Amino acid sequence: MHDIIIAILRSGTPLIYVTLAAVIAQRAGIWHLGLEGLMIVGACATILTIVATGSVFIALCVAIVLCVLMSILFWFVVEKLKANQIIAGLGLTGLGLGGTAFAVEAIFGTQAAVSAEFGLPRIGPMFGSYGVLSILVVLMPVCVIFMWVLLRRTRFGLRLAASGEHPFAARSVGVRTDLMRLAALMIGGVLCAIGGAELAAGSLQIFSQNMTAGRGFMAFTAAIFGAGQPIGATLAAVFFAVVGAAGIRAQLVFGDRVPHDLLLGLPYIATIFGIWLSAKLRGGTKAVTGFGELRDS
Amino acid sequence: MSDRIVSIIRALIFIVLALALCGVIFSIAGYSATGMFQAIIDGAFFRNNALTHALRWGMPLFITAVGVAISFRAGYFNIGAQGQFYMGAICAAFAADWLNGLPAAIVIPVCFLAGTTGGALWSLWPGLLRLKSGADEVITTLMGNFLAGLLLVYVTSGPLKDPSGSGQQASSTPLDAAYRISTSAGLSPVIIAIAALVGISMWLLVNRTAYGVLSGLAGRNATMVNWQGAKLVNIGLASFIISGALAGLAGTVELLGPNGRLASGFLPAHGFTAILIALVANLSITGIAIVAFFFGGLASAALYLPVIAGLPATAIEIINASIALFITAKSGVIDRLVRWRKGR
Repeated sequence: MHDIIIAILRSGTPLIYVTLAAVIAQRAGIWHLGLEGLMIVGACATILTIVATGSVFIALCVAIVLCVLMSILFWFVVEKLKANQIIAGLGLTGLGLGGTAFAVEAIFGTQAAVSAEFGLPRIGPMFGSYGVLSILVVLMPVCVIFMWVLLRRTRFGLRLAASGEHPFAARSVGVRTDLMRLAALMIGGVLCAIGGAELAAGSLQIFSQNMTAGRGFMAFTAAIFGAGQPIGATLAAVFFAVVGAAGIRAQLVFGDRVPHDLLLGLPYIATIFGIWLSAKLRGGTKAVTGFGELRDS
Repeated sequence: MSDRIVSIIRALIFIVLALALCGVIFSIAGYSATGMFQAIIDGAFFRNNALTHALRWGMPLFITAVGVAISFRAGYFNIGAQGQFYMGAICAAFAADWLNGLPAAIVIPVCFLAGTTGGALWSLWPGLLRLKSGADEVITTLMGNFLAGLLLVYVTSGPLKDPSGSGQQASSTPLDAAYRISTSAGLSPVIIAIAALVGISMWLLVNRTAYGVLSGLAGRNATMVNWQGAKLVNIGLASFIISGALAGLAGTVELLGPNGRLASGFLPAHGFTAILIALVANLSITGIAIVAFFFGGLASAALYLPVIAGLPATAIEIINASIALFITAKSGVIDRLVRWRKGR
């Protein structure tokens, strides 16, 4: 039983951090499909910096700075150049996936996985079998509660929601909606960096190409599934993590009788189910930016 | 200045901006940006037989990109071209495996039928979820890509595995030469004819039929089309099916043509590049034909870079992604310029 909970916490924590990033972006009115790219940059930067400097603290700082810079770039393209959010987000994801593969190849000369000698600090043996979890797992619930307070109980959170839902109303009381979105995306960048760091350095201490494997998109779906609420979206992310852990469990139980490539698809199927269910419950989930504006430029 | 020229200039400006961003990334990674671009341009358009290579890579991209444009112009972000492309190739490979031994005149058409049907069906379920339940097609088609990728891994290492194959990449048994529509060089009259047929028929569909007009209008203003009594659901489903079928057709062409067998994770950037081509061409079929040739050149440069120039092939991925980041941007500067010209 304990090992299942540990597995869910390990695979769920990176997803939850990125889900929080998706929630804050969505509340600010941005459909952030670049999360996948930010997450892999966070993962790659963490491992490469640990290899280079041997310091986990510097590694986290580098990951956060890079992800925030990419978030600012995304903000500039989407908000200032009025690019289509979905396509620009996919571009950002491509930049992250391609850029990390490029960086690894430029530094090490191969496309093989990079492993670091040590990862994030663990919480230690005094917690028994849970001691293998990293400190970011413990920090995760704090982060969720902090985001709930920030988004639901502060003036900033209210203005952010207004910038997303009714920009005109927000502007009429003097809120700079563009700067609110910048703040949301930058906070999201920090969260993606932490999520990526936990994914790469939390348990395996390894970076391999495309290791995020769609988690950014799952986080995006979890935010929709959770109706843009921090707690609800976290629960949705936990649901995806449980399905993923169940898939891995099933591989151990069934062995070769069920092809394991197909069991790996379970989280994706759960994501499709999630988006379908949220559409059923809330009457459609449609991007705020239709394609019409792109054509009638 | 006509609107078309303005849109071309705008696209070019943002492509230059995207390339500048790439130059920065290359320099940070320690490469000479000019050297990198030089090598890419050489690889794409100036080495021996470069134009043939660009055409070889451009043809399947053209077919998929036309499909992407069909669904984008109807207002649906069907970004599952990659998955539909894989499903097309998988279904065609199963058909070829099943009919192995029969004359090519039977096998090849059945493969094409299976491939296009496979692609269309892999596009149909996101379409149904979107039109019947309102589930956002961006996520469902993306997840479809991941699922199709896993299915490809499963098929090439399970049911269709080449027993004699060794090495890291799982692949299926190579097809009999009689069933191939081109050699590994990848350019043959049959492939050119298929691409031309797709281009002409889709141009006619878009520009000369009621469906073309209505789907274009639906992409701009779905409510109006609905009020005028057209069946939005049918238009939408047709768009999903056509775009999936074309991606599946491209998968079949790659399987029966240059590749000759299924390999796990083959051409992982095909769908994304096709989306990019459709957007750069502003969803016009003739535009796609031109743009596909350029991106075909870039795709062939991705193979040239590591072998001849000793540079990482992922440079092409970075270029494509940067262009995607900027291509839909609407620059205030250019629009102001246009307004100023019109105002005078």
